[in-house]
Amino acid sequence: MDHFQRFREISANPGRYAEEWKKKTGGKVVGHLCSYTPVELIVAAGALPFRILSSGAQIAQADGYLQAYCCGLVRGVLEDALAGRLAFLDGTVFPHTCDTIQRLSDIWRMNIGGFHADVILPVKLDTESAAEYMLAVLQRFKADLEAGLGVTLSEAALGEAIRICNRGRKGLERLYALRRKRPDAIAGSDLHAVFRAALVMDRAELADALEKLADMLESRAPQAAPPVKRLVLSGGLCSMPDIYQVVESSGGRVVWDDFCTGARYFEGLVDENGAPLAAIAQRYRQRVVCPAKHAGIHNRGQYLVDKVKSYQADGVIFLLLKFCDPHAFDYPYMKAMLDKENIPSMLFEIEDQISSEGQLRTRCEAFLEML
Amino acid sequence: MAKDIITAGIDVGSISAKAALLQHDRIVATHVILTGYNSQNAGRQVFDLVLQQAGLDAGKVAKIVATGYGRNSIAFAHKAVTEITCHAAGAYFLDRRVRTIIDIGGQDSKAIALDDSGKVKDFAMNDKCAAGTGRFLEVMARALEVDLDAFGAMSLTAGQAASISSLCTVFAESEVISLIARGEQRPNIIAGIHASIASRVVSMAKRVGVRAPVMMTGGVSKNIGVVKALEEKLGANLIVSDRAQVTGAIGAAIIAVGL
Repeated sequence: MDHFQRFREISANPGRYAEEWKKKTGGKVVGHLCSYTPVELIVAAGALPFRILSSGAQIAQADGYLQAYCCGLVRGVLEDALAGRLAFLDGTVFPHTCDTIQRLSDIWRMNIGGFHADVILPVKLDTESAAEYMLAVLQRFKADLEAGLGVTLSEAALGEAIRICNRGRKGLERLYALRRKRPDAIAGSDLHAVFRAALVMDRAELADALEKLADMLESRAPQAAPPVKRLVLSGGLCSMPDIYQVVESSGGRVVWDDFCTGARYFEGLVDENGAPLAAIAQRYRQRVVCPAKHAGIHNRGQYLVDKVKSYQADGVIFLLLKFCDPHAFDYPYMKAMLDKENIPSMLFEIEDQISSEGQLRTRCEAFLEML
Repeated sequence: MAKDIITAGIDVGSISAKAALLQHDRIVATHVILTGYNSQNAGRQVFDLVLQQAGLDAGKVAKIVATGYGRNSIAFAHKAVTEITCHAAGAYFLDRRVRTIIDIGGQDSKAIALDDSGKVKDFAMNDKCAAGTGRFLEVMARALEVDLDAFGAMSLTAGQAASISSLCTVFAESEVISLIARGEQRPNIIAGIHASIASRVVSMAKRVGVRAPVMMTGGVSKNIGVVKALEEKLGANLIVSDRAQVTGAIGAAIIAVGL
């Protein structure tokens, strides 16, 4: 039996999963951008948190609202919404992270409609005042959700949502830990499908499915594997599953990533014993930041260097989405920190979807030959 | 493996296919043909031709390494290696002092930094775009109705290089057409085109760090105008081997010795 089949189906068509979930449960679907959305609150409201990523369709309508120098993710997401491919959403949540997502929020409010919430996070997350501010932001988001969806979020429901989301995060972390130990235990494209599905699935169903999958994979006898080059991927998000096939056929294996659709999503659990909102706020303060936020001058670079060392990686591939300014601004200092530690790295700039497979293959192969 | 064996390197690029035969650390023969539509056939054909030139039988060749964008379609090769690794091996073989390579081929341009033992330390490659490549020159030659082979010599007679501000091939072509319409002299326009390629490639090379001596490889190194423009932008002389176009194939043949 193929244990990945269900994940692959959802990953290939996340919208259909949401539509079916709605039909089955009668619940509401709340779309959101970016991993700074406190999904626990959406779960506690009885709704399905649905991470919106671009379907990669040709841009036809979105360019009427956004300039071509906006990233393919935001243009693609708006295109999907304008074309009616996200009609199942009852509302959408926009964390204030990069400029483009902030502008998308305004365009959405005026043109797409539905329940709409901005989660206006502080920019600096490492200060004492950020804790207080973050708590107020979550209280405001809670009130917005209650008004928008016509529900009341009880302490008990929040506590339960935290436990469910933690279980899902632990499941994903187990898969990453297994891959670290045995890079061949799970194919990169399979893990990508699991992750893509995890970002839209009912969190209780997800937690169960991940536990089953991790149990099964961990119990499999290790296969004798040829030596491979261990790589860490870094960037915004990976909407390009083909990269894994390219890396693997060139003799490399991804052992960790620093993606918004990867480790940044699951690393760090919410304290299950504290007051729920304060505990959620605390997790965001401790988690490694995305470049749209600040937690010390060298936070992200040091994180990357530490991961490379502790995961015994041979090199780093930066996958940066074209026109993603926050990541592009961080790249030079992160590369300099890697250079200082003699960790080889390569930069690959991508459109939202894979567009130049031959070039990617040549660069990847040359990089692996160099390692 | 014994060093007296014969090895072959086959470099199937987007525009031309190259082959080299190597024995005893000596280049026995090299050959270049146009790739055309079918890269697999081009690889086979250029291999047959280089054997013919050397008067050798295919059975005498112990190992074959394929490189270039068509490397994976060469079924008779023992291994496919990227052109970045092969250009490094080839350049280091041609001149051990080389620490930086600028390779401008038909469809892409690369800057490669070598360590003291000739290994690739870092590299940069142009994005999926024809700016700063041989294809860019081809498009411009068509617009100017000048044979591409005459480009280099003609540009050296320029009084003052015309300014081409756009890096995009399509936009640069329309700039060139406006320059023609304004009656600008051909040599000046061509010198401007060369300067535009040079600034594009030099800024890429600076990303990997330029350490002298710098060698230029790839088909475009046959264009003396581009070589001069690069030297001016770099502020340093370039080493250009008479085997510049076949450097990748030579490197592939060297790597084949170690298989």
